[in-house]
Amino acid sequence: MKSVVTTVVTAADAAGRFPSQNDLEAVQGNIQRAAARLEAAEKLAAGLDAVTREAGDACFNKYSYLKQPGEAGDSQVKVDKCYRDLGHYLRLINYCLVVGGTGPLDEWGIAGAREVYRSLSLPTGPYVEALTYTRDRACAPRDMSPQALNEFKSYLDYLINALS
Amino acid sequence: MLDAFSRSVVSADAKTAPVGGSDLAGLRSYVRDGNKRLDAVNAITSNASCIVSDAVTGMICENTGLIQAGGNCYPNRRMAACLRDGEIVLRYISYALLAGDASVLDDRCLNGLKETYIALGVPTQSAGRAVAIMKASATALIGETNSPASGGKRFRKMETTQGDCAALVAEAGAYFDRVVGAIS
Repeated sequence: MKSVVTTVVTAADAAGRFPSQNDLEAVQGNIQRAAARLEAAEKLAAGLDAVTREAGDACFNKYSYLKQPGEAGDSQVKVDKCYRDLGHYLRLINYCLVVGGTGPLDEWGIAGAREVYRSLSLPTGPYVEALTYTRDRACAPRDMSPQALNEFKSYLDYLINALS
Repeated sequence: MLDAFSRSVVSADAKTAPVGGSDLAGLRSYVRDGNKRLDAVNAITSNASCIVSDAVTGMICENTGLIQAGGNCYPNRRMAACLRDGEIVLRYISYALLAGDASVLDDRCLNGLKETYIALGVPTQSAGRAVAIMKASATALIGETNSPASGGKRFRKMETTQGDCAALVAEAGAYFDRVVGAIS
């Protein structure tokens, strides 16, 4: 799993040297920013279900045709799966906030997503809409501190860019 | 390879649960004691050659047969291999201490080490003794519990802020014990 520490250790190991001052400084920089992202991770974990529900509702409100016969959400089972996927994406963002890098999203969320959605003929636009709604809905200091919110939104943007 | 953060993510993913609450408490302590941890890694890396050569010397002093003809540290070529292995083990322990997780030590150093040593005829008991001496000197440097009496002319104290390093000393000690356990 890619993170600042594992990147530093991999590079040091490839060169066969002990962790240098540069490596320790890199880890130190990561640690200094860690408080904000751990706060964001904690708040997101606490409100994961509510955030998922709001995001899914926003998406089905905007694209109400999705629930018509023959569309991606024409049965409750399919609608539930959409909410489940949104929950998965938000959980992966929680992991990214913990690790401090995009590793979890890349490895477990984005890799292969395009191919899966194409073969199931699912639109990615509604996912983008739901995540955009979450991004614009979150605000500081109501939900979390400004710095934590910044970290949270940067991962949401990363995912939105990957899906759009 | 995992670190303390990705370890919690991998175990949370196995339960399809977000990382929150009590899991985060452990990570917060990693962040809070981040500077101590970096000082501890620095204590090992700055004294690496001293720790290694001391350990190998001690191992040989306790068992001088190693450097007599037919011993496993005779001739110089095999002594050099022994010093090199000591440094490699210490290096992976420093990585594990930096990451706060033993996976890098397990995957890249200990996996198959015992089998390699048996195949090469390296006495694992002596190797384990050298690692135990490295543990003693490394933990003394991290916790600053070494004294001029025990250090002799090689006595050195790391000039770091005073504080409670018991948790880090215990963690580093556990990595050394892990090595001893893996090869014996």
